Amino acid sequence: MEVKQQRPLTVEEWAAEGMELLKYYEKGPWPSHVSELKKTKYPIEAYAAGLAARKTMWAAGSAKIRYVYTGFIARRTRDGKISELHFRVWQPSGYLYTTEKLRKLIEFAEKYGLGLIELAGQQGMMIISVRPEVADEAVDYLRDVVGTDVGATGDTIREIAACVGPALCEYALYDTLEARDKFLTHPKIYEWMSNQLFPFKFKAKFSGCPFDCTRAVHRADFGFIGVWEGAPEVDQELLGKKIEAGEVDPEKLAANCPSGAITWDKEKKELRIDGTRCKKSMHCIRAAFPAIKPGKNRKIAIVVGGHVKGRFGGKMGKPLAVVNSVEEAMDWVVKTVESWMEHMEKGVVKHKDRIGDFIMKVGFKKYVNEILGLKEVGKSSLHPSLRAGAVLDDEERKMYAAWASKIVEEVFGGRA
Amino acid sequence: MTADKVAERLKKKLPVPYIEWLPEKVRRNVGKWVDRKYHGYGIIEHISASGDRIFTVKVGTPPNFRLSTDTLKRFVDIADTLGIGGIKITRNGNLEILTDSLDKALKIKEEVEKMGFPVGGWGPTLWSVNSCTAFLTCTTAVVDAPSITKVLYDHLKPYFTGEVKLPAKLRINVSGCPSACGGFTTDINIVGHYGDAPTYDPEKVKLCLPKSAKALEMGHVPEVAEVCPTGAIKVFGKPDGTVGLEVIRPKCIACGRCRDVCDWIDFDQSKAGVAILIGGKASNTGKGPLPSIQVIPWIPAIPPDYKEIVAVVKKIIDVWRENAREGERIGDWVARIGMEQFYKMLNIPVTKWNKPVALTGEFGIRQFGPI
Repeated sequence: MEVKQQRPLTVEEWAAEGMELLKYYEKGPWPSHVSELKKTKYPIEAYAAGLAARKTMWAAGSAKIRYVYTGFIARRTRDGKISELHFRVWQPSGYLYTTEKLRKLIEFAEKYGLGLIELAGQQGMMIISVRPEVADEAVDYLRDVVGTDVGATGDTIREIAACVGPALCEYALYDTLEARDKFLTHPKIYEWMSNQLFPFKFKAKFSGCPFDCTRAVHRADFGFIGVWEGAPEVDQELLGKKIEAGEVDPEKLAANCPSGAITWDKEKKELRIDGTRCKKSMHCIRAAFPAIKPGKNRKIAIVVGGHVKGRFGGKMGKPLAVVNSVEEAMDWVVKTVESWMEHMEKGVVKHKDRIGDFIMKVGFKKYVNEILGLKEVGKSSLHPSLRAGAVLDDEERKMYAAWASKIVEEVFGGRA
Repeated sequence: MTADKVAERLKKKLPVPYIEWLPEKVRRNVGKWVDRKYHGYGIIEHISASGDRIFTVKVGTPPNFRLSTDTLKRFVDIADTLGIGGIKITRNGNLEILTDSLDKALKIKEEVEKMGFPVGGWGPTLWSVNSCTAFLTCTTAVVDAPSITKVLYDHLKPYFTGEVKLPAKLRINVSGCPSACGGFTTDINIVGHYGDAPTYDPEKVKLCLPKSAKALEMGHVPEVAEVCPTGAIKVFGKPDGTVGLEVIRPKCIACGRCRDVCDWIDFDQSKAGVAILIGGKASNTGKGPLPSIQVIPWIPAIPPDYKEIVAVVKKIIDVWRENAREGERIGDWVARIGMEQFYKMLNIPVTKWNKPVALTGEFGIRQFGPI
């Protein structure tokens, strides 16, 4: 019997090859992550070895920090020789910093860490690598000197994102930053965030307008999106000036409105928008601001059950309600989370089921009517489970590889 | 320190209120912004009712947004000497340096470019290539997203700076595994996966299973089996009283959830590659929010140059540039022409893993009907 020799998956075995490979990424016109990492104490050999072996060297590690039950991640390499610990750090609403605060964070990363900062992780928090032997002290420094804290990991309240909102945006239809602050300090949310009691993670997102910069429609268990009622507001005089100056083409504006809600009266030189048809695409507002602005009667639309990760694939959020303030929805958030936890005790919800999975299991109608005691509004659209991946047989794999080779030929004239 | 004091850590010290973290000039203009102007693709001017103006310079960052404190300090110095002492970090890890005149904004652009960092990413440009951490930190990564991101950025930089125009905004995500941390609302979504059902080391996988088959008889389902959405992982008691595991290949969809909870679920790295999904967007512009859909189930991911991935992404962008109308993001464009037509343009072979999907209905706030 032929025995296939496998090289051991250790950093030592692969690091030398890997370090050669990494040189490739120090070249090129875009700033290099490798060059940055080399300026820090990050264990780059572990990254290099993974690249050469084409397998990540990292496996789950462990760490214990007194009274901190969420917010840090421990890793070790599969050979057990290198360990890594990093803190997720709560960012201020809007992620806007004074340089004074940033300097304190930099000091923190140098004093307790590797001199390395990941500005915003996929979950939105700032990630700072910390030396395990000083982790306990680091927590106090972060809290007492910097004025923030170790963030969230695992099955709890995770990063709650808000767009920059009124701090630096003309389109903000409600104060997303204050909304996030209030959400985080709501007694129940605040109590939950220090432990991991949920079936899986919980996220909320606050977007000030329908551009939805925080992607609340998909990436939030509760998404809060600023809207207005009816038609956008038109300042005919200012619009007239913009048209005269050639900044706005009213015919084009009407023709390109995704809702088909705009008519341009050539005679009267008047632009009319039918509020009953307006889908709030922001098209005319973006093109003619501030001559066309969001309407004065402002609301917040709430979508629920969106997520990326989850047992049955990603989901888009479903329509829950249109309200006047985020406070109005806080009872629903609390009820939803409590019911989600109760359903795990009953065995309906499994560990790693998101709220979207929970709603899918109990049924959206039942969730809205019975759990929240509300009436359904609107109509949620169906879509296939959002996922990526394939289990291919050898023939299919060859077929797609051959197709990719053809594209390489077209674009680069070959692989060499 | 007393135990009681340490226990206070259970009460998180949150960075609230946000107003305390804002630079003075922003603080006094909160809620007063009335107009904006673009100066090229990397500078926005915000105009306040108070007469104040703030210019924001958007700077692209390395893959996975990791900066050494040395480099970050240089940006902070720039924000102090040429700016108003404020920096904003975007959801996609770009850095925005705030200042109060166009002259200073242009000077910041110059300084930042001297450091080797690009300025751009607003309007009809490439806003960002968002990368997960993959081999830098992650335990479940199948391919290395940061190095893929680096080569993509190297090839696509003119789309970020605006030197080459695009029909509309473009966002790209690179995720190292099917957890797809970057989400499904990007125009082009690149997701690493095994291309096959997982394998496992029969010895090491025992670390993820109960020691005795008795646990199964009591109704315990090990997490590695429980998380499987299709029931493709079978656990069973063996005659010797230990627990065995089997992967039922025809049921497997290669989602990787078993591997998320068990480091000893394995895969054959020679088959690892990426899937390409297109058409996602969160914004309510055009046809509204759309989820991205898998159009190419698998292509190889071969470091260091990842030629296949770069070529396919470039090809998709080229076809979009040639055929889309002004302002049409990839999702809006494909929704208009139909997925079959898009497949024809690229000659993509179709299997059960990339059957064309026609989405009916609208998403996001449009589900409420007219508000």
